Amino acid sequence: MRRKRRLPLAVPICTSVLTILLVGHIWPNSASGGADDAVPLGLPPLEAHQRPVKAQVELGRKLFFDRRLAFNNTNSCAMCHIESQGLTSNQSARAIGMEGRSLSRNAPALYNVAYQDTLFHDGRESDLAQQAWAPLLSPLEMANPSIGHVVDKIRSFEDYRGLFEAVFDGHGPSMQTIGDALASYQRTLLSGNSRFDKWYYGKQDDALNADEKAGFEVFMGKGQCATCHTVGEKSALFTDHKFYVTGIGYYNAIGAGSRVAKVELAPGYFIDMKYEDMKSFSAPRINDIGRFAVTLDAKDRWAYKTPSLRNIELTYPYMHDGSLSTLEDVVAFYDKGGLEHDGERALQPLHLAEKEKADLVAFLRTLTTAEDQAKHEGYR
Amino acid sequence: MKKLLKSTVCMLAMVAAGPAVTLADETCNSPFTSALIKGQEDFLHVWTLGEVGVGDESDKLVTIDVQPNSPTYGKVVHSVSVGGRGEAHHTGFTDDRRFLWAGRLDDNKIFVFDLIDPSKPKVVKTITDFVDKTGFVGPHTFYATPGRMMIQALSNKDTHDGQTGIAVYNNSGELVSVHKMPLENGGDGYGYDIGINPAMNVMLTSSFTGWTNYMMDMGQMVKDPDAMKKFGKSMIMWDYKSMKPIKTMEVPGAPLEIRWSLKPEDNWAITATALTSKLWLVKQDEKGEWQAKDVGTIGDPSKIPLPVDISISADAKGLWVNTFLDGTTRYYDLTNPEAPKEVYSKKMGSQVNMVSLSFDGKRVYFTTSLLANWDKKGEDNEQWLKAYDWDGKQLVEKFSVDFHAEKLGRAHHMKFSAKTKAAALGE
Ligand code: HEC
Ligand code: HEC
Repeated sequence: MRRKRRLPLAVPICTSVLTILLVGHIWPNSASGGADDAVPLGLPPLEAHQRPVKAQVELGRKLFFDRRLAFNNTNSCAMCHIESQGLTSNQSARAIGMEGRSLSRNAPALYNVAYQDTLFHDGRESDLAQQAWAPLLSPLEMANPSIGHVVDKIRSFEDYRGLFEAVFDGHGPSMQTIGDALASYQRTLLSGNSRFDKWYYGKQDDALNADEKAGFEVFMGKGQCATCHTVGEKSALFTDHKFYVTGIGYYNAIGAGSRVAKVELAPGYFIDMKYEDMKSFSAPRINDIGRFAVTLDAKDRWAYKTPSLRNIELTYPYMHDGSLSTLEDVVAFYDKGGLEHDGERALQPLHLAEKEKADLVAFLRTLTTAEDQAKHEGYR
Repeated sequence: MKKLLKSTVCMLAMVAAGPAVTLADETCNSPFTSALIKGQEDFLHVWTLGEVGVGDESDKLVTIDVQPNSPTYGKVVHSVSVGGRGEAHHTGFTDDRRFLWAGRLDDNKIFVFDLIDPSKPKVVKTITDFVDKTGFVGPHTFYATPGRMMIQALSNKDTHDGQTGIAVYNNSGELVSVHKMPLENGGDGYGYDIGINPAMNVMLTSSFTGWTNYMMDMGQMVKDPDAMKKFGKSMIMWDYKSMKPIKTMEVPGAPLEIRWSLKPEDNWAITATALTSKLWLVKQDEKGEWQAKDVGTIGDPSKIPLPVDISISADAKGLWVNTFLDGTTRYYDLTNPEAPKEVYSKKMGSQVNMVSLSFDGKRVYFTTSLLANWDKKGEDNEQWLKAYDWDGKQLVEKFSVDFHAEKLGRAHHMKFSAKTKAAALGE
């Protein structure tokens, strides 16, 4: 396989410097003509290896949306990372794959995935071009029987004729080029220039109202959110790229006694149902031990990656297992100090006042990019 | 929750209009179906889901001899695998009753079987471009109209949620038109069943859920509050000829199978809501406006019995209702459709989904499978077809076929056929 980081080390550094210079005064909406490396307001410059190869983007997009890439032709990357649902799925807590099989985790929103140091909730992958092969080959997801099967299938498609060759120096579909094209497309999924960015980085004082500004104070201060969901001086990805135990994984794996689901049978009409009464029609849930599965370090049991919070109001449900439906639920979760678990505690109870909680939610809603909001269709 | 297209309804219309012959057949596919079976049906075709670990693991059409005088009565006489698992679900006859269209909700393939020799159905056409042509996913109800096949879908190719529509094909398998479920005037975009009342020029549709939910493990879905928000809550009355919605009625809790009363003087249809376990009556009020009315509960709704298939008797005086989770069939006295009364119930097994009633009301057939990932697991995953006689008081079992012992798979939608029909078709 060819390496994906093809540029010599010096180039990324030089280009980064250049990008920083450019970015200072380029707005995303006006980012046209020559400003190739411009990123939306509030995002850090893309390093060379994070940048899309322009010529490959269209091909990557075509692959990303192509339902034929699943073994039975019914699933694409875009069916789990749905453009009109926050690049995740707003329809279920955990993703649903081949023949309806259950994945153990929520599909992460792919906004700004170009900046991720590690991929997946447990950080087991490091490069987008490689990552793509996990869903393509997983029996739970796109379920292809082999790499060759995928490559040969794409080669056989009339509508792909010549497309790879044109953007990969004459090379056709291969494990490397398919991954690279998908990576280039995903690297264009940048989301910044939110109302928060206009206020904080663009110094537009009226971009946020007083409650939202108060919410930001809670985020940075009493709520301690920014210790993990980092906000920098020039840009914010809202993640420190690290892994923490918040208790959710532990709760699922070890359980907290007999559980009851509040089941909504019709809008506003709920009944309580015990998990044990649902056994006859419930498949066993796949156990998920988090980052530990990658490091085998006991402190990583049920640790998950800090996700970015950009476009957070579009990307529900939340957490690695989609167990929290609303931002209000998330804030209540942090206010309690997360869930009980047997490891070292990263979260402590916050004792936020009702107003502080509401403001915090209001602030989180300012992280939405207008273009992405426009693509989002609330579920009817 | 399936729709046996068998709403008697149809036949009713035919009986009313045509000469007074004694018909049997099942209680109706679509009112536009001709070549009805006279007397006892000879075969029952079961559209069966392939199951991992069972036989060839592929979807198949299984043909069972149901003629009591036949030496192979109660036995599987034919089975044709169509290859792979694609969530086999429902089927429907063309208006001439010669071809059976059978759909799959996952990979969206539609198989057209020729029943000229009903003892050996054979695939004569496979439609593989339903999604590309229509944008819809999950071809569910197959409903014949003159020279056409109407297909109600459940989902769409962009999101796999419940926004969907109706596709109209001609009998040669070419797409004629596409109609999205409306989102205006209270429409929620979901689809499920179609029931046409030709005399009144109206078409009624109901609403279920999208691919993500119908493919998901049922236990996981019930525990997932976001998933549970994604069920339909509307029924739409359309002008059938113009295919324009007349009125959207709010019927919360996923209204599924639609059964019109077949009596010519009647102006009502009945349905059951899967999640809320209720019967709803859709009827014209004194001013002629269509209204949906909650007319009763099924079992104990707080236990989610999950009413699935329903089958109305030809005289519209009785209604079979299967509740999937408690594996029970229930018979309702519908003499007063405003107040249906449960008068009989029988535990059929660990799970039961479809019910098919002969037109004379004397024979009732049951199968078990709902959706591959909604069926019960382990020991509770019984898969069978059971045939009963109904004398108006009780069900008497005639035979059963164990679909696991026979290495067939999950038994779902049933259709009747008869040998005499071949002659009638003149081929
Ligand atoms: C069946 C649903 C499904 C399909 C199809 C799917 N994904 Fe995902 N994707 C997920 C889930 C769930 C995760 C998280 C898995 C984990 O953490 O173990 C994920 C994670 C990712 C990530 C990591 C993001 C991050 O922030 O760590 C990327 C990138 C990604 N998917 C891209 C793709 C691409 C490209 C395809 C098509 C080749 C694809 N996905 C197909 C469900 C899906
Ligand atoms: C100790 C580090 C840490 C702190 C402090 C923290 N978070 Fe998180 N946050 C995480 C991690 C790790 C996850 C992912 C947890 C999981 O997937 O189970 C997460 C997930 C989230 C999510 C869901 C994101 C998604 O896409 O699913 C939101 C929203 C969120 N945090 C908001 C906040 C807010 C608001 C605060 C302050 C009240 C906060 N976080 C404090 C580490 C932290």
